Amino acid sequence: MHQAPPINMELEAQPLGALAHKVSILAGIVGLAGLGIAVGLSKMGEGASERFYHAYLVSFCFFLSLSLGALFFVILQYLTRSGWSVVVRRVAEVTASNVLLLAVLAVPVMLGANHLYEWTVTNRVMEDDLLQWKEPFLNLRFFLLRLAIYFVVWVGLSRFYLGHSTRQDRQTDPRLTLRLQRWSGPAMLLYAMTVTFAAFDLLMSLDPHWYSTIFGVYFFSGAVVGFFAWQAVVLLLLQKAGRLQQAVTAEHYHDTGKLVFAFVVFWAYIAFSQYLLIWYANIPEETVWYLRRQNGNWALVSIVLLVGHFFLPFFALMSRHPKRRRMMLAVGAVWVLLMHWVDHFWLVMPEFAADGVVPLGLMELACFVGLGGCFVAGVSWGFRNRAVAPIGDPRLPESLAFENV
Amino acid sequence: MATMPLKNTMIDNTVEDPRQRAPLVLGNHDFTTVTETICRIPEASRPPQAWYIAFAVSSTLTLMLGCMVVYLISTGVGVWNLNNPVGWGWDITNFVFWVGIGHAGTLISAILFLFRQKWRTSINRFAEAMTIFAVVCAGIFPGIHVGRVWLAYWLAPIPNQMQMWPNFRSPLLWDVFAVSTYATVSLLFWYMGMIPDLATLRDRARTKIRQFAYGLLALGWRGSNRQWLRYERAYLLLAALATPLVLSVHSVVSFDFAVSQLPGWHTTIFPPYFVAGAIFSGFAMVVTLMVPAREFFGLKELVTPRHLENMAKIMLATGCMVGYAYSIEFFTAWYSGNVYERFIFMARAMGPYSWAYWTMVCCNILTPQLFWFKKCRTNPWILFAASIFINIGMWFERFVIIVSSLATDFLPGSWGAYAPSWVEICTFIGSFGLFFTLFLLFVRFLPMMAMAEVKSVMPQALHKQGEHQGLGDYWGDMPRGHEHKPGGHDVHH
Repeated sequence: MHQAPPINMELEAQPLGALAHKVSILAGIVGLAGLGIAVGLSKMGEGASERFYHAYLVSFCFFLSLSLGALFFVILQYLTRSGWSVVVRRVAEVTASNVLLLAVLAVPVMLGANHLYEWTVTNRVMEDDLLQWKEPFLNLRFFLLRLAIYFVVWVGLSRFYLGHSTRQDRQTDPRLTLRLQRWSGPAMLLYAMTVTFAAFDLLMSLDPHWYSTIFGVYFFSGAVVGFFAWQAVVLLLLQKAGRLQQAVTAEHYHDTGKLVFAFVVFWAYIAFSQYLLIWYANIPEETVWYLRRQNGNWALVSIVLLVGHFFLPFFALMSRHPKRRRMMLAVGAVWVLLMHWVDHFWLVMPEFAADGVVPLGLMELACFVGLGGCFVAGVSWGFRNRAVAPIGDPRLPESLAFENV
Repeated sequence: MATMPLKNTMIDNTVEDPRQRAPLVLGNHDFTTVTETICRIPEASRPPQAWYIAFAVSSTLTLMLGCMVVYLISTGVGVWNLNNPVGWGWDITNFVFWVGIGHAGTLISAILFLFRQKWRTSINRFAEAMTIFAVVCAGIFPGIHVGRVWLAYWLAPIPNQMQMWPNFRSPLLWDVFAVSTYATVSLLFWYMGMIPDLATLRDRARTKIRQFAYGLLALGWRGSNRQWLRYERAYLLLAALATPLVLSVHSVVSFDFAVSQLPGWHTTIFPPYFVAGAIFSGFAMVVTLMVPAREFFGLKELVTPRHLENMAKIMLATGCMVGYAYSIEFFTAWYSGNVYERFIFMARAMGPYSWAYWTMVCCNILTPQLFWFKKCRTNPWILFAASIFINIGMWFERFVIIVSSLATDFLPGSWGAYAPSWVEICTFIGSFGLFFTLFLLFVRFLPMMAMAEVKSVMPQALHKQGEHQGLGDYWGDMPRGHEHKPGGHDVHH
């Protein structure tokens, strides 16, 4: 083991306090301004409100996926009794708990359901046998109920884990870890079902005729990629702010980078599975979804996604050097986050603009900045009065001493 | 050599204390006694009588397999009850079943290695061996079902005078590549991991034949610092290369079905769903073999209750993934509004093969739920019984998928039914004979556990001697409180 001087975790993991306050207010203002601009734009011209809701959904699902990826990571660490990750786990816990803010930000999606989802429009349903068939599932009331259930589950789980972990900061009681471990199995099951159906509801039902059994896993795989990239960025920023400078080492970045790499490959595997099977069987009711994404300029976006979301990060993160060098990892992580946003853009927007025109403009940017500002404000607020690492966790020493090959 | 220490053998290492890691080797073992415990099995002058009995049974069954194959080839595939529309029956079911079983080994040796799951060291050798034998059994079935088996080499892209190339767009061809790559890499992994242990057997050998045989296999291993360095690097690289293979093989197997347009076969979740099922069945088979083996060969201190518990948890996790896939498939069959999709799923649950369907559900979904309870996870015999049920359930899963979809497809006029002939049944039973024959030979002649790796997770491995740290170096995150105790030093450390 290393004979490094002991690390003063109290100091290293000090809450961000005033800094968090400042960041939250600043980001909140930027966020509200962004949303304000987006709402303003939605009033201008025909089809603008429809575009607003779609653009909003893109960024909403993007940030939601970061929180859900974080929730997966937190539950998984307890499920596997993980040791290395303790020192970076608080980032995930706080990000996951931000799902509460996202529950509030889901209101526009609910209000705009009739702009987003064809099956909420009675006239359309009347004319369409398939939509009538799906009506017991795809109807507005049940949809809202399901969304409420998902958010209750996610908020409950994320608060449960964050709450216990924060309590452990002071009490250093290993029994809290045991309790969280004990619930991690059922929590993971709940997580899997809610995330799958949320993906079906929010994204797949944009085209209510289309279906793909792997779609929930696709959304999940992207969410996890996005979260790990986010985690790397937040850790770097926390270190910039003078926290965890000794506690988080190249070893932890290395592992985070490995996980980004692994889930980039996993995402590609899932995306490829879906594409190959649909392409090969060539059944029109399935291929139509990809056809829309190959039409006109959408083909370009599809290629950007293929290259940018898989090939580039795959080769860039394969070697151990970029994963252990902060600047290189930061560049990689920001790139992956960007591509993860493109993924959501690619999932949502073709349903709005199927004629091959890619609507990428001020509206999409405003929604991204708007939701991003709110999201950052929420995460930063979470660090205001709370240690930035779980200093009372019984496995903290193991995490601090952790080394790769 | 030292006699086995008896005191302090059974501390309960399944008790959870987050402040420290549970020991993975129980009893007062040091490096010497670990070597002794494992080596005495292949070094015994005669195996126990039960081994002979088991070997007699399994080799007889292997012989039966041989007879069935000869009968099949000399007579024609008509001796099976395959028909139109059910062109794939027990043959392909058995193929997918055996390939699936062959997933645990590489998962344990590659993915669990990358995830730093130290407990894998006690079971990886065993599981890797099982993997290879399962793949051998799997390989037989597609080979013999092609009809004109003497033309089976056409599957490979060998240039020939007829200018015939295989269809590269066919998933059956991808299967040839996927399974043969997997078999090759698994074999390499298994063998490479065994080299240090083979050298130990060579050094301990008392007869000329043993010295020669193990010496040949050990490739001149001397256990020098430089050799260990290269070895560990190679192991890590192989693990990284083998990891995608764990996913790709069964994904490609699932493509055999899912690229078609047949309801019940064509669904996008098939690749990850098949992989989860394969790991599920692979772990079940490891447990089926491991529980009696640890009992029989006195390995309970090396394969501890904690190992069993961890395997049970993996079975619970993968069993839930399989259950997830079943339910999403069912939901989507309804959600799609597609009348054929809906029909086939109702037919599976309530049609002529519903008995197979419900066997599958009971074995695959209900059985692993036992593992929510610690008592069931740590009691070897409950675990053993559950693993048998899971094996049965996973066989039926493939049967249900393959046969029910083929028997009742789009047109009622072309529906058919299928039941196996005695030849098919005997061939399948015979494949178990082959599997167990190979396995019994393995436990008789080769080290059943990775001695060098087991030692690396013992507290003694933390001992530093200048620059030399042995394999313990990789597992740098050993818990505190397990500092060096003066203990035996092995030849290779």
